[in-house]
Amino acid sequence: MTAASLLPLLVLAMIVVAGVQIGRRALLWRSGSFADVDWVAGVKALPKRYLVDVHHVVDRDKSASRMHVPVAAGLVGSAGLLVLGLVPGIAGSRIYWAVVALAFAVMAAGVVLVARRRYPRAMPRLSLGRYQRTPVYLGLFAGGGLLCALLASFGDPLPFFSFLGLILAAAGGLALAAQAATGPMRHALAGAAHLALHPRPERFDERLPKGRATGLKPIDLDAAKLGREEPADFAWNRLLSFDACIQCGRCEAACPAFAAGQPLSPKHLIADLAAASGGGHASAYAGNPYPNERSVAREGGLHHAVIGTGGMVHPDTIWSCTTCRACVEECPMMIEHVDSIVDLRRYQTLEHGAVPGKGADILDNSRLTDEPNGHDVATRTDFAAGLDLKRLDDGARTDVLLWMGQAAFDMRGQRTLRALIKLLKEAKVDFAVLGEERDCGDLARRLGDEATFQRLARANIGALSKVGFQRILTADPHALHTLRNEYPAFGGDYEVVHHTAFLNDLVASGRLSPARLTGAAITYHDPCYLGRYNGEFDAPRALLDALGLERREMARSKRKSMCCGGGGGAPIADIPGDNRIPDLRMEQVRQTGAATVAVACPQCTAMLEGVTGDRAEVRDVAELLLDAVEAGRGEKAKTEARAREVETA
Amino acid sequence: MIANAEALLKPLTIKGMTIRNRVMSTSHAPSFGKDGKPQERYQLYHEEKAKGGIGLSMFGGSSSVSLDSPATPWNQISVADDSVVPFFQSFSERMHKHGAKLMIQLTHMGRRTKWDTENWLPVKSASVTREPASRSVSKALEQEEIDRIVRDFASAARRCKEGGLDGCEISAAHGHLVDQFWSPNSNHRTDKYGGSLENRMRFGIEVLSAMREAVGDDYVIGMRMSGDELLKGGLTAEDLITIATEYANRGLVDFLNVMGGQARDHLAHAVSLPNMSFPVAPYLPIASAVKREVDIPIFHAQRVTDLATGARAVAEGHVDMIAMTRAHIADPHLIKKLSEGRADDIRQCIGYGYCIDRIYVGKDALCIQNAATGREATMPHVIQKAEVKKRAVVVGGGVGGLEAARVLAERGHEVTLFEKSDRLGGQVLTAAKATWREALTGIPRWLVAQVQKLGVDIRLNTAADDAAIAALSPDIVIMATGGLPHLGEVPGAEHAVSTWDVLEGRVEPAGTVLVFDDIGEHNAVSTAEHLAKKGCLVELATHDRMVGEEIGGTNQPVHLRELYKLGVVMTPNMELIEIYPEGNRKIAALRNVMTLEEEERVVDHIVVDYGTHPVDELHFKLKDRSKNNGFVDQDAVVAGRPQPFEVNGSAEKDGFTLYRVGDVLAGRNIHAAIYDSLRLCKDL
Repeated sequence: MTAASLLPLLVLAMIVVAGVQIGRRALLWRSGSFADVDWVAGVKALPKRYLVDVHHVVDRDKSASRMHVPVAAGLVGSAGLLVLGLVPGIAGSRIYWAVVALAFAVMAAGVVLVARRRYPRAMPRLSLGRYQRTPVYLGLFAGGGLLCALLASFGDPLPFFSFLGLILAAAGGLALAAQAATGPMRHALAGAAHLALHPRPERFDERLPKGRATGLKPIDLDAAKLGREEPADFAWNRLLSFDACIQCGRCEAACPAFAAGQPLSPKHLIADLAAASGGGHASAYAGNPYPNERSVAREGGLHHAVIGTGGMVHPDTIWSCTTCRACVEECPMMIEHVDSIVDLRRYQTLEHGAVPGKGADILDNSRLTDEPNGHDVATRTDFAAGLDLKRLDDGARTDVLLWMGQAAFDMRGQRTLRALIKLLKEAKVDFAVLGEERDCGDLARRLGDEATFQRLARANIGALSKVGFQRILTADPHALHTLRNEYPAFGGDYEVVHHTAFLNDLVASGRLSPARLTGAAITYHDPCYLGRYNGEFDAPRALLDALGLERREMARSKRKSMCCGGGGGAPIADIPGDNRIPDLRMEQVRQTGAATVAVACPQCTAMLEGVTGDRAEVRDVAELLLDAVEAGRGEKAKTEARAREVETA
Repeated sequence: MIANAEALLKPLTIKGMTIRNRVMSTSHAPSFGKDGKPQERYQLYHEEKAKGGIGLSMFGGSSSVSLDSPATPWNQISVADDSVVPFFQSFSERMHKHGAKLMIQLTHMGRRTKWDTENWLPVKSASVTREPASRSVSKALEQEEIDRIVRDFASAARRCKEGGLDGCEISAAHGHLVDQFWSPNSNHRTDKYGGSLENRMRFGIEVLSAMREAVGDDYVIGMRMSGDELLKGGLTAEDLITIATEYANRGLVDFLNVMGGQARDHLAHAVSLPNMSFPVAPYLPIASAVKREVDIPIFHAQRVTDLATGARAVAEGHVDMIAMTRAHIADPHLIKKLSEGRADDIRQCIGYGYCIDRIYVGKDALCIQNAATGREATMPHVIQKAEVKKRAVVVGGGVGGLEAARVLAERGHEVTLFEKSDRLGGQVLTAAKATWREALTGIPRWLVAQVQKLGVDIRLNTAADDAAIAALSPDIVIMATGGLPHLGEVPGAEHAVSTWDVLEGRVEPAGTVLVFDDIGEHNAVSTAEHLAKKGCLVELATHDRMVGEEIGGTNQPVHLRELYKLGVVMTPNMELIEIYPEGNRKIAALRNVMTLEEEERVVDHIVVDYGTHPVDELHFKLKDRSKNNGFVDQDAVVAGRPQPFEVNGSAEKDGFTLYRVGDVLAGRNIHAAIYDSLRLCKDL
């Protein structure tokens, strides 16, 4: 009996150990609530989701893809080959062992790259502890296996070294397998299952617009419990998703709240949610602590409240989130952090009314006046008095319905809306507004008040059903997202277009003729709800380029853009940190040297304009376009005047 | 950001006519009318406010409805015949284009006008009386004349409607014919128009009823009225509230434009057009009291100089519309700046009263600090960027220099401003030290904030010289070195001190002081007041017919009131002919300019104001090296054209162009210095 011949058995042992371990987790997942999952479709889609979708994300960090491809391929390849070795006769082939050795060699090379990310010093976003030891186990398994298989391919000339290799491989491999329930290798097994049984399978369907996979899902308001309180309340495949986390920390590096020193790390939160279902006192977490960490008991249990000082996670953590989806966008394991945060908020709000900061006022106003700040919605068009804005009476028709949003009540937002209205008039667009536009409900929903959101959504859909229009135009990406992607669940299916795309079309089709502006460079700040949520990165840029100004990109832009801090009710909850998110973002603006930051969202405008001191000017894309269109008009007048002078002469 | 700003930005709907916000300008008489019509200058003046976001601009203060209320004084509007209608049409189209509403004030002035103008008709009133302010004795109206005037009002209202105006108001304030009927002071009639308040109200009711009949119920008609005449024997708050409620309840008026006080004599006039000595919005409570009693919108003007005050007045429910008439003369873009988040850029009215004081001496209304107002055809309120960026040096940080620096920086030029002293604002800051003239500091305060914001390189405590200017190799040098007070040429002039010496505290007189004024402006009178308040026994002598003769009607009475209260001896018609010392004291020899008799005063101090003489040494050092020999092309600057030195290839020659603005040319006033700078620099 050669050492190599024992390698297949080692793999079997590893599979058994890992299977038992992950089985313990699977039992916990089963305690989650019902989820409607298409198993067959999911399993069929798994290879593509893994090899394409996951790889695309992993590959954004080249150091990760370069290490992950050989390690995973080597591990799966060598283990698979070794199991194949149980087939009688195969193990006797030297060529077979050469191939196995090659697989181990590939893996070993990958392990070197893994180790480089962690030694001598780990990248800051990575977790330590067990995660720091993982390359050692991987290295033992790969190195030992390589030695053993390589010797076998030469006819096992040095049996001692073969056995040494086997022992090293066994030590590493069994250690890895033993941690399949709680250690780093859990991500492989839970991750594969998560990909197949994902709560949002639509996100892998490239034919669907991006927004279809980013809208929040409604909950049944007649349910016995609203929102998620304890691990068992989560759908079972959500519990599974928490276990898929490999604690790579990409989410944490992207999280604006974390950067601002607010007590939120998406990675930490997911780890806590995974630990909570295990029960008891959670073991130490080896990543960065929540910034300005609030103390909690760290007690878990399937039926133990997750949120609260007696639970796993402090409420400030979930209320720090801006719902910007930077974490979701970055996550190679396709975890949907924002869904879970909103689910946890829903329970806090709907069952306990425990909304922090000004949340209670905002929700009271939304309930009583249909508007978060308590404005009379009939006065939403006040700002446009003198602009001759058409209001749609019931039964009336228009081509474009302008959805004004909360900006109509804010002096800064009104400037943008006025610019937009002037541009629409200039382009002779047939447009009008609703007689009574209620709040779209975005803010109430993100603050967890699903009931108010659903009521507002139904009321707005009712009002929209009484008038005729081709499409809805809005300058507010939050309203855009809500109307476009979240109203369909209530029967409101509309074509909703953002003003940047709409105006870009008007310019492209020659209905607006902007002059080329001169002046200092600009940069564009992507609104999360337009960019990451709805995949619109190009139209605003194309529009800005039509104005002739030098456009510079911030280091974080497009999909990786950093939130202004204004989403998800975060400014309402106002959880203190070390910095303000908009200050950080404005610093990124400053680094481009641009004198103006172009924005396309009233929330971004408000947040960035709130930055004190010497900073770039904040202008909505519509305002910049209006400048250019007005300059164009001036130039035209000048040219005409010159032509007249020539004629007289 | 201004507290309660949102209260100002709410629309107000009156009879289906929606005004986009709560800020307006009341009807006034800028003296821009031409042949009794609101022509281009008049329309451009109001259009600028429409561009600037105003909700409602009312024009044509005291526009006349009848030939015996002539439009000639203050070049006003005559609505007495149909020829005005096309002008109304073009005017209202012009305003509506920018989303603003336009209304006019209609009136018959009654006895408050002159008979010796275009039509040479006697002035009319309820009874035979004389108003001190207009100095006219009236003929009592007979029934036929009353009926004719009522018809004239109705025809005028019809012309307003035909002209596309959004509404009109009648004036029943400041002692016009309607309130001449109301007031027992001017109405001694014994017929149905006199006696009881009910009877005295009748004429106004007939006027408004006839107007209603002419234009229909859906046309907006309002009334300007006082809420309390603040006059013994005049109309009381109670009387006026009775009138307001009666007219409103009858549905005769759709809004009331309520002011406080009246204007029957010099002081009353000054008090009803409060200058900088008054607090802001002094009569808001009077309007608020009327608001409490009626259900129609209340408008109110009178020294609401800042949006914060206006916003408070509306937010607290005192009034429905806040009128900021003079505030718009100082800055027609108030609302635009507010809604663009640039409230800090608003040039705030300081209550100088320059605009209104000019019209009472037959001149056009101009703003002491904004030289573009009323000159919209040639002067920009928003400075256009220059096509070529130049380097400019401004010498002198008085208001002329600051305005030059501001305009040049707005043009996009690189501007360096030298100021010898440690402060910006020049002699305006000196003038502001005299008692209630303090608000003058608002002029340089705005200019300084603007030049700082525009990135002008400000070099304080730095006297510019040849080398320092050469080191900057400028394309443009603006000399705004101003002037310094002159002590006069009488023998012994060296024993006198200047008003500047007193106000700057370089001398601190005590005992008896003779102030001699050769200028007739605010300088000497305010210095006399300043000295009297410090305990000096002051005599103010001038060779003019009275003290402060050049000071306008809303300011001079305030000066006189203060001087009388302080016991200052005012000696007109007297010139200073010699000064000589005698011991510790000084003898001033004065000569009566009418009788030529001479007198002497023995005083502790003699303070003189002979105006300023230019500080122009540096100018003459640079003159020969400049491309234009230091001259402004007078024809070009008067016509509002660019300077030929700038356009005729001079830019290709080495060196710089050199210009003087303000008192370095000759001692004048703040407006002159600012206008010099604006009209020159807008094209540089």
